[in-house]
Amino acid sequence: MSIIKLINISHWYSENRVLDNLNLEIEKNKITYILGSSGSGKTTILRLIAGLEVPDKGEIYIQNLKASVANKIIVAPGKRQLGYIFQDLALWPHLTVYENIAFGLKNMNKSEVEGEVKGILSLFGLNGSLQKFPHQLSGGQQQMVAIARALALKPKILLMDEPLASLDVKSKRKILDYIVSIKEKYNLTIVYVTHDHLEAFAIADNIVVINEGKIQESGTAVEIKNSTNDFVKYFIEW
Amino acid sequence: MIISHNKSISSNLLYTIVLLPVLLLLVLPVLNIVVLTFFGTNFPESIASINRDLFLLLLKSLAVSGIVALISTFIGIVLGFSLYKSDIKYRNVFRLLILIPLFISPYILAVAWKDISVLIFDYNTSIFEKTYSFFGMILVHSTIYSPLSILIIGSALSNISKQMEESALLMGSFKDMFFKILLPLIRPSIITSFVLILIFSISEFSVPAFLGFRVFTTEIFTQFSAFYNHNLAMLQSLLLIFICVILLVSERKRISDSVFLSIGTRGREVKLYSSKKIVVFSYIILSFAVVFTVFIPVSILVYQSFKTGTSKFMEAIFLLLPTIGNSVLLAVIGSIISVFIGFVAAYYSEILNKKLMNMMLLVLFAIPSTIFGIALIKFYNNSLLNFIYSSFGILIIGYVGKYSFISAKLIGNSIKQMPKSMEEAAVIQWIGFFKRIQKIVIPLVLPAIFASFIINFLFCFGDLGTSIMVYPPGTEIMPIKVFTIMANATESLTSSMALIVFLVTILLVSLLFFIFKKIIAKYNVNY
Amino acid sequence: MKRTSIIILLFTIMLAISCEQNSNSIVVYTTVDQVFSEPVLKEFEKKTGIKVKAVYDTEETKSTGILNRLIAEKDNPQCDVFWSGDPLRTAVLKNKNILYPYTSKAAKGIDNVFKDKDNFWTGFSARARVLIYNKKLLKDNDVPQSVFDLTDEKYKAKVAIANPLFGTTTFHLAALFSVIGDERAKSFLENLKANDLVIASSNGDVKRRVVKGEVYCGLTDTDDANEAIKEGANIGVVFLDQKGIGSLIMPNTVSLIKKAKISDNAKKLFDYLLSEDTEIALAKSCAQMPLHNGVKLPDGVLSLDNIKPMNIDYNKTAGKLESIQEYLKAWVERK
Repeated sequence: MSIIKLINISHWYSENRVLDNLNLEIEKNKITYILGSSGSGKTTILRLIAGLEVPDKGEIYIQNLKASVANKIIVAPGKRQLGYIFQDLALWPHLTVYENIAFGLKNMNKSEVEGEVKGILSLFGLNGSLQKFPHQLSGGQQQMVAIARALALKPKILLMDEPLASLDVKSKRKILDYIVSIKEKYNLTIVYVTHDHLEAFAIADNIVVINEGKIQESGTAVEIKNSTNDFVKYFIEW
Repeated sequence: MIISHNKSISSNLLYTIVLLPVLLLLVLPVLNIVVLTFFGTNFPESIASINRDLFLLLLKSLAVSGIVALISTFIGIVLGFSLYKSDIKYRNVFRLLILIPLFISPYILAVAWKDISVLIFDYNTSIFEKTYSFFGMILVHSTIYSPLSILIIGSALSNISKQMEESALLMGSFKDMFFKILLPLIRPSIITSFVLILIFSISEFSVPAFLGFRVFTTEIFTQFSAFYNHNLAMLQSLLLIFICVILLVSERKRISDSVFLSIGTRGREVKLYSSKKIVVFSYIILSFAVVFTVFIPVSILVYQSFKTGTSKFMEAIFLLLPTIGNSVLLAVIGSIISVFIGFVAAYYSEILNKKLMNMMLLVLFAIPSTIFGIALIKFYNNSLLNFIYSSFGILIIGYVGKYSFISAKLIGNSIKQMPKSMEEAAVIQWIGFFKRIQKIVIPLVLPAIFASFIINFLFCFGDLGTSIMVYPPGTEIMPIKVFTIMANATESLTSSMALIVFLVTILLVSLLFFIFKKIIAKYNVNY
Repeated sequence: MKRTSIIILLFTIMLAISCEQNSNSIVVYTTVDQVFSEPVLKEFEKKTGIKVKAVYDTEETKSTGILNRLIAEKDNPQCDVFWSGDPLRTAVLKNKNILYPYTSKAAKGIDNVFKDKDNFWTGFSARARVLIYNKKLLKDNDVPQSVFDLTDEKYKAKVAIANPLFGTTTFHLAALFSVIGDERAKSFLENLKANDLVIASSNGDVKRRVVKGEVYCGLTDTDDANEAIKEGANIGVVFLDQKGIGSLIMPNTVSLIKKAKISDNAKKLFDYLLSEDTEIALAKSCAQMPLHNGVKLPDGVLSLDNIKPMNIDYNKTAGKLESIQEYLKAWVERK
């Protein structure tokens, strides 16, 4: 069953068409990898799903609700029940780890917020860093805070824009394992954008390969590996 | 591409709430006077008197101010590097000292420098006198405006990530790195500095008037004050405004694409050069600048104030004391409003692509003070708006109209450098517009907000051109009192007053610095 | 929210200040330097209990603020009384239909030469145009005694006058034009220019240059000369052309501004400024010469009795100005 549907989506940045009549469905409770080289339009897909950009053409459905249509946002980003991990993580540098996570929590009293934040941070082993500022953390810890912040609002969908690119293999592996376990625990649908096909093959349920704004191939890791599409073959050669 | 989430009701509301008063209270008076000019009875005569000579004069002014802008920007690069990139001690002391020429009125600096040059050179021929006015103008203007350039370029220099420079240093010499990496990286700030100083210099009037150097502003002034020909003066001012607007718009175009810094989440380290050569060079050049732009003029003032004892200084204190409270209060209110309007204009222009308010502030900024004063009188001086015109409100309106653009500019540069994701991360979490602005955007651009507050404060506190046209009868504000008393007062009284203004300003600025430092420290951000 | 409350607080304070209106008050604009005009106005306040709200300006900035302000405010005048340092600015306002005629009884003792024939202004305390010279640089017998001496080769590049487009210098030249005729006056100015005359930014600047020895001598007003002497400068003062055309005498003037209702207070101040008291005060503070006959003067203050005045019609001279202004502008701008 698909939780996100992109129908006939086209999108331009000034003169450049970044997405070209794209149709895409994301399955519920699966990890879907969107794979492509830089400039292929993969980040734009995430931003469209999140509602941070308005599509120039087409429609977007989220949980069977019409969320965006051409030039119009129907469901505001904050109402789409999704979390977003930005490429630069976007941790607010002037807020502590605690404040970063507590920031989005609404309709709770102080002790409830505290319980919530501490609960999430202990999941990631970050309880000792509550009062630290982002720049006082290691790269891996910063990723964890970003993920914890996104999960604090209990989203149904987690959008991840290549957040692990700058990490060493070991930390990366550790966080990916976390992601898989979190997905199970929270019944999450994860859309993950990267150019790293090995990472995708390792944990993706579904993979979508995209190039120049068009889907080249989609399927499971095995299907992608056996694809006959020239671009896909070229892309995963490395 | 306009970001969708910001099309919220609250964001439109804020824009409208700020835009309306800006339009009604600030822009409308100017439109009114422009219309009056074009429909004035002597408009045909005025337009006929705009001839080749006038354009040549405009070119001359542009050329002279261009030279001033070039020199100041060059000084800005050299001193900016010494101040912000070399590993020197007492950096903060130097930073404050270097800014001092900004606190002293151009007129007083011109007088001080003339006295100095008479001591050094001696006038023997009139030829010297004639060339002197040209060099004098360039010298005094460059002295006044260099600190601005140092500020602009210095902040750009301290925002370059260490790696950029280090990777270049690994591949080549310091010279290569400096010219091929550092300078191109700060190019936007170099352009901004050049254009802003060009505009400041071309609209400044007191220095060329004092030195007897004929430029476009003195021509406008002559039309005003010798011929009382408002129509022609206004028309000539429109030419000047037009030039300034073109300059500012082209500057915007040039720098709009370049992102020259981002407030990173991982903290930012500034590369400081500690090689002996650079540090020694920095000390020498900074000390020279301090002696030349601060120590010499201020000592002249001190000498002139006290050469006949302390009585004149006491008299000056007695004269100025009743004005300080008013002036500080008005300048503080003026700068708070300017910063607020500047922030809104900058935010909407940079993030939401609504550039109207920013453009309006830019035009207001480019209008010569006297013209702006006349515009305010023509608009506010009637029975309906008399309550504003006869109160301090009119001065606040004058300050805000004249100087909000400075805030919009400085804060805009800072917002431009804030990663978009900072706000988007909050949007995803369904954080409302006002909370986002209050808790995310404002803290992140806080240093720019404070900097523009201080600079705005300095401009409001020292404003003369517009204030003298509109200050309510029977009230006293400092710059006007200094100016009206200065004319026939003894040299020691004049110098004493200049000195007091200078001391009060430096005291207030230090106080503001201190307060802001505390607040910023509270946020504990590695900006 | 803290910020909002601070703003509201400040606004309230501002409003409170601006609401402090005093009905028994009067608005005066003056181009006479604040150091000299303020004590006179304060004395008036003390004597009458009428609050004087003043807008000051200075000749140093060519009185731009006040004159342009009065012109711009024409449709809804704020000002009641205009006190000018010279009759010329007043004539500009008269031409622009901004003044209201008034004949004061206090002006009885003042010669009619110093009054507008249509009563738009009345003169009082006068200054004179003088030559000041640096005693160190000029020996007694080298000191010029006539304005026409200034074209002499021996003063080449060593004479200063203020920019004649502004201030009392305009008046001086306009008077010269009307006394000796356009042709002679123009050739005199051309000769001055040929003699590398220094054009200073203001009378104050002329004074400064003479005191500092940049030039031998310069033309300025008695009050500037007086100020320099008070400061202990080593200068001498000469009333020029005492054997010829005489020295220019420039009275202060007072006028009422035309508005819907001319207040009695305005007339009171008008009368007060024309009183002997004011003239004595100004004689003491800035060496202005009283125009009332027989005012008792303190020692050392100049009196009109000992000076041969230039014989001019102040109204006509003001008119003269307009016809020569373009010429003067070109003359100044020529290198």
